[in-house]
Amino acid sequence: MTQSCPAIIGVGRTKFGEHYEREPEKLIEEAWLKASESAGIERKNLDAGYFADYFLQLTNKIGIEEGFLSELTELHIPMEKTRSFSSALLNACNGIQSGKYDLVLVGGVEKMTDRWDKIRDDLMLLEDPWSYYAGCTPEANHELMLREYVKHYGISGSQLETFNTALAQIAVRNHKNALQNEYAQYQREISLESVLRERQEAHKPLGLYDFAPVSDGATALILASPEMAKKLSDKPICVAGSASATDYVTYSAREERTGFIASTIAMKNALKIANVEVGDIQVLELYDQSTFLEMVSLEDLGFSKRGMAWKDIMESSKELLGFYRVDGKELFVNTNGGLKADGNPLGATGGAQIYEIVKQLKGEADNRQVKADADLQYGCVLELEGFGTKAYVHILRRVNRS
Amino acid sequence: MSSEPIERRVSYIGDRLRGSKCGICGKEYFRPRDYCGTCGRKSFGKMQDIDFFYEKGELEVCTLVKEPTNKFTKLGAYLYGVVSFNNGKVRVPGRLTDSLLNESEIEISRFEGREVVPRFRRRYAVEQSDVIPTIALTFALADEYYPYQEHKIVKAQEEYEKPGIVGYGVYTSKFRIKEGSIERSVPFIDEDSITAAVEAGKMALIHSGIDPAMMAKVYVGSESNPYAVKPIASKVAQVLKLGEEDKAEGVQTVDAVDTEFACKAATCMFKDAAALVYFPSVREHYTMVVGTDNSQAAPRNELGGELDFFVGYGASAFIFGMHDVIAEIEDWCSCTSDTPDFWRRDQECYPRHGGRFTGEPAYFKHVTAAAEKLMDKMRLQPKDVTYFVSHQPNVSFPVKVATQLGFKDEQFMPGLQVAKFGNTYSGSSPMGLAAVLDIAKPNDRIIIVSYGSGAGSDAYSMLVTNQILEKRTRQKFTIRYQAENKNVEYVDYETYRRLKLGM
Repeated sequence: MTQSCPAIIGVGRTKFGEHYEREPEKLIEEAWLKASESAGIERKNLDAGYFADYFLQLTNKIGIEEGFLSELTELHIPMEKTRSFSSALLNACNGIQSGKYDLVLVGGVEKMTDRWDKIRDDLMLLEDPWSYYAGCTPEANHELMLREYVKHYGISGSQLETFNTALAQIAVRNHKNALQNEYAQYQREISLESVLRERQEAHKPLGLYDFAPVSDGATALILASPEMAKKLSDKPICVAGSASATDYVTYSAREERTGFIASTIAMKNALKIANVEVGDIQVLELYDQSTFLEMVSLEDLGFSKRGMAWKDIMESSKELLGFYRVDGKELFVNTNGGLKADGNPLGATGGAQIYEIVKQLKGEADNRQVKADADLQYGCVLELEGFGTKAYVHILRRVNRS
Repeated sequence: MSSEPIERRVSYIGDRLRGSKCGICGKEYFRPRDYCGTCGRKSFGKMQDIDFFYEKGELEVCTLVKEPTNKFTKLGAYLYGVVSFNNGKVRVPGRLTDSLLNESEIEISRFEGREVVPRFRRRYAVEQSDVIPTIALTFALADEYYPYQEHKIVKAQEEYEKPGIVGYGVYTSKFRIKEGSIERSVPFIDEDSITAAVEAGKMALIHSGIDPAMMAKVYVGSESNPYAVKPIASKVAQVLKLGEEDKAEGVQTVDAVDTEFACKAATCMFKDAAALVYFPSVREHYTMVVGTDNSQAAPRNELGGELDFFVGYGASAFIFGMHDVIAEIEDWCSCTSDTPDFWRRDQECYPRHGGRFTGEPAYFKHVTAAAEKLMDKMRLQPKDVTYFVSHQPNVSFPVKVATQLGFKDEQFMPGLQVAKFGNTYSGSSPMGLAAVLDIAKPNDRIIIVSYGSGAGSDAYSMLVTNQILEKRTRQKFTIRYQAENKNVEYVDYETYRRLKLGM
């Protein structure tokens, strides 16, 4: 089955951060040019395009994004717009697997800082209007889930202190990872003390350093049919499994409130499609909108046992391993710095996650490279839309050329 | 600008926390739906309307919000969390209201697991010219100021000869300002005259036990409606589901109107409300009169600022009918003259006092004339009256007028509430009436005389019936409960002005 997988033959991205001097088209142009260059293709080769953004209509008053892409490429191919990059990739995979297309451009962009004064309201209304009406913020539901988790597993006293430290270690490690990532929004280390101090001063379970920032940026990749990939690339990375799942828009109304059921379902299906086990995954990009989400996603995806992820994280942090030791195996997580340090321009974020796994599997991650590429075979990306309302899991595999 | 269609839909559901219950499996939902997610197609037509307006919930988990989204910034810091109803059958997002948080002392776990009651409030801040959004995903702790009370519909037992009051309710807020011997109620920042009207109406429904669907008309008197054009009464009618609900048309079969005559905007409608239920085809029905005000006053150093020492916040609601009456209306007398003692021009924020007319001839002449004319008409002496209540803009006026009319301390002091809540304008003399009804015995006679600037007075004589005793057990949220509540929170002058201004 994996023989017929669509393959990623080129990736590209911009630096994440604030790009107030550039239009969104300029960002997507940079990402697309880099991706096409690394794939060694010309725009005329493209059969279709899938393009992700959440907010361009709000932030930049751009309604029909496909038109800009058409102008950019001077092409009149079919193009579709989705919210998340992972959704664009999933749709592109479907397009290729159906036999309709051979070469597809997948892109994502966001210009959140163009509407910096209203973007938190936009984010919250996107997540769930009813929670917004009740006074929710983009951060509040993370903290509610944390409270549910702590109460559900009866974490208190010194255990709670360890739990809080484990979450802080996630932010520290992500910032450290981003030091080696030239595209990251924050290329500076933060200390454990500063993460804890921010929380203390705010009198909140999660503080400033627990949350991903607001960002601008663009990402792109070129997806090819297996036959086309064979012709165009020496080192294609195949999309072995691509799956998504949904959950209620209102967090409070969900049955499961100590994790994301959508993540669990999407992972289960992606593993099945890819025909691999959780334990086969070596590099992992999680959707750490907050440190808590990185932790709980380890459980949702089946890496850590329920209620145990923070212990796994703490154990690994103690020894400064740079990876999580889960179930006796090494798991490298958010090697690009995660959303926390790499940045989170919503529509482009998934592209940066895929970018990182592709680079790792190809052995092109420079100073971030966790292992020789020959020793890496499987990577996995989790991307969420809203607060776990949608989950996308992609399992990527390095193709061994005989 | 906000979208009127979205506003209408969100308010319809959110103001009352409407939902559905599956008639097959019993699963409950916040927000009405046509079929059950578990039972599927076979549940079409079997979904029952429910709502959580009178329910009690539990704040399961919560967190402190210090950096709200733009529309909530005026609230400052607040607690936000998950509220469950019926042992977790339904969970909704909710904001804890009525609390001025001291962030450094917030221990989140202290709030978790506590019982909460939905409150009808402003949802968030909008432009001055926009529709005011409201919601009831705002909660207050049930063990603090505002108690959980069951809403039980009781079948009417007895028809009376004369129309009268069948139930009443008073609402004042948890916050007070205390200056000298005077305490005054202060709205929380998400409250206004609309939210108080709904709260008072809710209390009156709880007390009367009538079926809200039997309401024929609701009158809301106010001089601080945040809208120049748009009635408070329509909001009260919809939120409290007054009159038969026609779901197909999306209307309540009820008449609703706002009235304005300074502080007698509500009392002047008592006779109309009573007369209406005397109409042959309405005799089985009821009417409601609400007096509500977030009493306005300019800041102290400005023109009109003298009012700032006296204004309060609150609402009183009275339900009239022919059945199960607790106080029959014996007779009434009103008098009116064109006396410009107090006014507020259109588009002005605060009212003005002329100064010359305030006491004499405005207040004293009208109150005295109405009271004397009524007593003459009924051949009553002060000794025939158990309680005398008059409009209370301050402490001295009502005491002076009552004494001049020949009433003694024990007759007028029980109804004098201005020192506890301030001048609640349209709700002022009705609040005094409620205080007296809270303690009255069968066969007590009450005279209430309102006063509205501009100017006029309504005097009513009421005779208390036996049923007052039984109904009294249904209402915890009495005048005394609100006046002497240990959870009342006192604020300083700056906070009082900020809260009063609203969001």
